[in-house]
Amino acid sequence: MKAYKKKIILSLPDVILPEKLVLFLRNPMGVLGFTLVLLIVISAVFAPLFATHNPFTMDIANRLAGPSFDNFLGTDQLGRDTYTRVLYGGRVALQVAAIGVSVSLIVGLTLGMIAGYGPLWLDNMLLLLFDAIRSFPTIVLALAAVALLGPSLSLVMTIVIITSIPGYARLARTSTLSIKNTEFILAEQSLGASMKRVLAIHIMPNVIGPLLILAAMDVPVVVTIEAGLSFLGLGVQPPTASWGTILNEGYLIIRTTPWIVIAGGIPLILTTLGFTFLGESLRDVFDPRLRKGK
Amino acid sequence: MSKILQTRRQLLQTIAFAGIAGTAVGKFPGIAYAADGATLKIQFERELDSLDPGYFVGGSPPCDVNWALMPALVHYGRGGGWIPSPHVESVVARDATHIDFTLRKGMMWTNGFGEVTTEDVAYSYDREAVSEWKGDYVAYDHVEIKDKYSGTIVLNQPFAPFMNTTLASGTGIIICKKAVEAAGGKFTTEQPASCGPYLIAEHRPGQVLKLRSNPEWNGAKPAYENIDCLFVTESSAAALAYEAGELDIAKVSADTYARYLKEIPANSSLTVAGALQYMWMGMNTDHPKLKDIRVRQAIQHAVDASAVVQGAYSGTAEQSYGVVCPGLTGRRDKAGYSYDPTKAKALLEEAGVSGLKLTLRTLNNQERMLTAQIIQANLAAIGVTVEIIPLDGGPFWDMGQEKKGDTWKELELWIMRYSSGPDPYEPFQWFVRGQVGVWNWERWSSDEFEDLFAKGVAETDTGKREAIYTRMQEIMDETGAYVYLTHEPEVFIHKSSLSPHFSPTAEMIVGAFKEA
Repeated sequence: MKAYKKKIILSLPDVILPEKLVLFLRNPMGVLGFTLVLLIVISAVFAPLFATHNPFTMDIANRLAGPSFDNFLGTDQLGRDTYTRVLYGGRVALQVAAIGVSVSLIVGLTLGMIAGYGPLWLDNMLLLLFDAIRSFPTIVLALAAVALLGPSLSLVMTIVIITSIPGYARLARTSTLSIKNTEFILAEQSLGASMKRVLAIHIMPNVIGPLLILAAMDVPVVVTIEAGLSFLGLGVQPPTASWGTILNEGYLIIRTTPWIVIAGGIPLILTTLGFTFLGESLRDVFDPRLRKGK
Repeated sequence: MSKILQTRRQLLQTIAFAGIAGTAVGKFPGIAYAADGATLKIQFERELDSLDPGYFVGGSPPCDVNWALMPALVHYGRGGGWIPSPHVESVVARDATHIDFTLRKGMMWTNGFGEVTTEDVAYSYDREAVSEWKGDYVAYDHVEIKDKYSGTIVLNQPFAPFMNTTLASGTGIIICKKAVEAAGGKFTTEQPASCGPYLIAEHRPGQVLKLRSNPEWNGAKPAYENIDCLFVTESSAAALAYEAGELDIAKVSADTYARYLKEIPANSSLTVAGALQYMWMGMNTDHPKLKDIRVRQAIQHAVDASAVVQGAYSGTAEQSYGVVCPGLTGRRDKAGYSYDPTKAKALLEEAGVSGLKLTLRTLNNQERMLTAQIIQANLAAIGVTVEIIPLDGGPFWDMGQEKKGDTWKELELWIMRYSSGPDPYEPFQWFVRGQVGVWNWERWSSDEFEDLFAKGVAETDTGKREAIYTRMQEIMDETGAYVYLTHEPEVFIHKSSLSPHFSPTAEMIVGAFKEA
């Protein structure tokens, strides 16, 4: 009787969509985050379609023009269209985030599983390595590396990857340790499965969930590092547009032309909020233990 | 623990909504202004690398600091020209090649090195004459020591601007012979002994240099007991700091200057301290990619300097046509090349060069970065790809110097700005043969140029000097190694209650600052 009652109060989405998705959709912050992320990704991927100008074309006679129908967000000091440069800046931010986060996720996951599953000496060695890297303040490490090797986008990505790996690795290691001695793994071992197989087929699917959530929440961190270094003139080099370089060019003339800072700052804020809300909601959905009050 | 913000997410949400609300309302609470009447706070736009007058990177801040700490025979006066310094009884040019001077008695060096004597004067100038700044001392021969306090500077040829361009400049300061010898003959950011109205009380690199009045100084007391020199490398940021009350005087960027001309902050004044700056893009004539003069000439024709004046300097700078600054003998109104991208392309084709990629090194500040981007776009139009390398002051000023590493071998293009003295001979000294690998980073030399340089120093007839310096600039044009860009004015914003004093090259003479 109880089961019957429950069945008749099921709403349409419950029938069509999986339970997790319903949970996600019931979280307004999650939906807002997802929408923001979607908007940012679309605007970056299809930047050439949405752009109204060439991001590099200078029009010095029309420099520092205010917002208009021709230039939605005005022009910068060299007369380049700020709206177009913000769109193209999104490409740089997301490129760094996508490559940086995914590479560090893959490497971190692999190393973490090896550390958790492998022999104790290897675990200790890898832990030492992870903690050594984690002990470096990211921005200071980045500044030192840029001073030695010169600024470039690839260096920014390398630094992001190196400093993010230990976070993923430690999480993967802990999860691996917790399931390493469970029956299904022991059974697999007793059947003679190789370490590679156990890790790839049995352990990885069980540990990757939290890592994906962590990755979503790391995206704004990575975007901010890129923007921060570019703001300091140590990241993306001109004429490439980045939200950081737009902010840098804008803050110096904030008194007369505030829209440049606004144009560079708003996408950064939206990206941070979007990915954070999305990550937090995903965590709620996939890891109910962490959900407050549940 | 408050129940309002229990999780990170709630905190983020709250901040986000507060931000949106703040933006909607239009403003945040006003920033409290800091004010400290006891200490004068001035801006230094770069870090202090060295105070050694023979080996420093000239300009501000080493000159500013040395004038506050060290003796000299003459200073720049407020009415232009030179005046006797507080360290001397008299300075008199007896004839065209002899300058008599008498030091004041009882001027004591710090750290127990005794009195300032004629021997210190002779030691200082002899040392300068063989230093990196020997160009300032081409006319100097020796100092005749009469007694402990008086002597005569003997020149090897008549040279009228010697007082202004040498003795009053940053290279004219007197150092303590005993102290410098005890320090091993050279020093960097600490003077082994000083004798001036101020002492350095503290130096935190990158942050602040604190000048405090010297209790042992027996000359006239300076108007300000304490001066804090804050290192703010970006002029626009300095202007913001000024407006927030964190600085009492700051150098302003071109954009800010344009803004202040329309509306100046309350109780503030603008002072134009001179336009004796010349900025150009240099090319390394030794570099394999730039060895062919046609490639260099193509680059000369490709860069639109008028766009730099408008785009990077908001039209506040003057366009440059050579190294002689506006108002000086030999200043030209056109260079030996003009902006002509078609000709530039033709020259590149003639040289058989295509797909050329070059690096352009520049100081990492607003105007230079904008200038670099304009040049990058100009050169892209003729098919040359430019990678901009922004640098901080330290590596930038070392990069062309052979003794400071190997970067000079990789130098291709760079944006450079030097200050000139008030005499037209001054800028040319950096491009003579002896300066190759020191300050002549373009690395060319010419016998005719050397010859004309010597003649220009000795010549007193204005017409003939004009011809000499015009020809010398033509020789520089012909090397293809220069694209002249701007002469920018050095503009300072300061409290109206302050009456600052500057050298012709816009260094601050803080000892002569007074209340308006």
